[in-house]
Amino acid sequence: MIQIYNVSKAYRKDAAALSELNLKIPKGDFVYITGPSGAGKSTLLKLLYAAEKPSRGQILINGQNITRMRGRRIPELRRHMGIVFQDFKLLNSRTIFENVAFPLEVQGKKRFEVSKKVFQTLKLVGLEHKLQSLPLELSGGEQQRVAVARALVVDPLVLIADEPTGNLDPDVTLDIMGLFRGANARGSTVLLATHDREMIRRFPRRVITLENGRLVDDRMP
Amino acid sequence: MERLIYFIRRALRNMRQCLFLCSVAIGTTAVALTIIAFFAIVVLNVQQLTADWSRQVEIVAYLDTVPDARTLQGLHGKILALPEVESVDYTTPEQAFSQFRKRLGNDADLLSGVDPDILPASFEIALKPLFRNQAGVDTVVTRLQKEVGLNDIKFGREWLEKFESFVALLKLGGAVIGGFLLFAALFIVSNTIRLTQYARRDELEVMSLVGATSMFIKTPFLIEGAIQGALGGIAAIVGSFVLFRLFLYESLSSLLLASGSGAIAFLPLSFQGLLLSAGVFLGLFGSLMSLRKLVRV
Repeated sequence: MIQIYNVSKAYRKDAAALSELNLKIPKGDFVYITGPSGAGKSTLLKLLYAAEKPSRGQILINGQNITRMRGRRIPELRRHMGIVFQDFKLLNSRTIFENVAFPLEVQGKKRFEVSKKVFQTLKLVGLEHKLQSLPLELSGGEQQRVAVARALVVDPLVLIADEPTGNLDPDVTLDIMGLFRGANARGSTVLLATHDREMIRRFPRRVITLENGRLVDDRMP
Repeated sequence: MERLIYFIRRALRNMRQCLFLCSVAIGTTAVALTIIAFFAIVVLNVQQLTADWSRQVEIVAYLDTVPDARTLQGLHGKILALPEVESVDYTTPEQAFSQFRKRLGNDADLLSGVDPDILPASFEIALKPLFRNQAGVDTVVTRLQKEVGLNDIKFGREWLEKFESFVALLKLGGAVIGGFLLFAALFIVSNTIRLTQYARRDELEVMSLVGATSMFIKTPFLIEGAIQGALGGIAAIVGSFVLFRLFLYESLSSLLLASGSGAIAFLPLSFQGLLLSAGVFLGLFGSLMSLRKLVRV
């Protein structure tokens, strides 16, 4: 369960990126966060994975108040999250296997456990035959599947995706959406920031709309 | 232990994968340390030269009368018993006369008909290295006067004062320039490492996003910094030895030989160890400084 109470965020004094936001997202929900550029979508996601702190208000994830969390406990919070970006953020000097294995290595998992889980996850995204490739040897769609695999490999409680299909063509978008829906079916709460109305129409779920940092709409399909 | 092996493996893999950046960091450390090594070679050798010069700090005590064998032995023993004294040489009037004659060279004829007894007997007293300075000389002179009863004592006060101010200047200059070079090396190396780490900021960001702790992110970079520093240190030792043999040896040799000193030396083993440690320190400290700014988990 994600609870957001009266959250505001201002990067400068005169410009609020988010204002007085109140939201409840139950465990296992699938939520689109939409709105025009500069609406505050990315800021909201950054607050959720604690890359930013709110200027006001409280955010609770599974009962834990992350706004009061000490810096050294943030890694622990992120280990239960999967984060996917529009620009993939893969390590281009590392192989696909190494990229996907990274979150498990961070958690200190044993090598055989890492290998097994990475292989399973790459199979899930259909890239088990590209283990030793480097990211730049893959297409954009494949790179994003690797980024999703890196997010899914830890069986995240919360999967956060910021415009994950923004640079991809429609067929690849379908593939990626399939992966998010699969993760949601396995129990992950999914928060997906997007501009793509066609995607929302095609896979209807709860839609939260932001404008100028304010919640303007929150509707179920 | 397993974790440490993992960190070392990751550090080595990082170095392999970013070979160019890694070489730049090693090269910068090596150049910075070579400059310091060069400076140290000059300072150590000039110090050796001044140590040789300091042997000339000598006290001569003249005797009113030529002592008999027993008195001579007593005086000799008393002087040698002083803690500051390294050696004592007794010069008879005849020996002094003969030295004087030698020194006059072609004008030795001037001494014809002169009795050697006009020159006094004397003790030439050499001091231990620690006391070859103004204070040491003063202590010994006072002791010779009070404890041994010798009153006619000579030493090169003016020369000693000049020598002392030269040594003091050398030490101060060495410390100031050495400190400046070390600080410059630290600045250059830490900025180079910062650049190499800045080029890998995506990696640092991804690590932090997948839940890596600050220690997990920093440790391989610190190990990498230490390895780069050590390699830079080794390169500096080898490089400065080659340059020393090619360029410095001859110029320093001519300077030192002209002043009658022995062969010049490369850095002693202990200093080479120090240079290696300085490399490791520069790498570690440089990494730590830049990581503090780049890693904010």
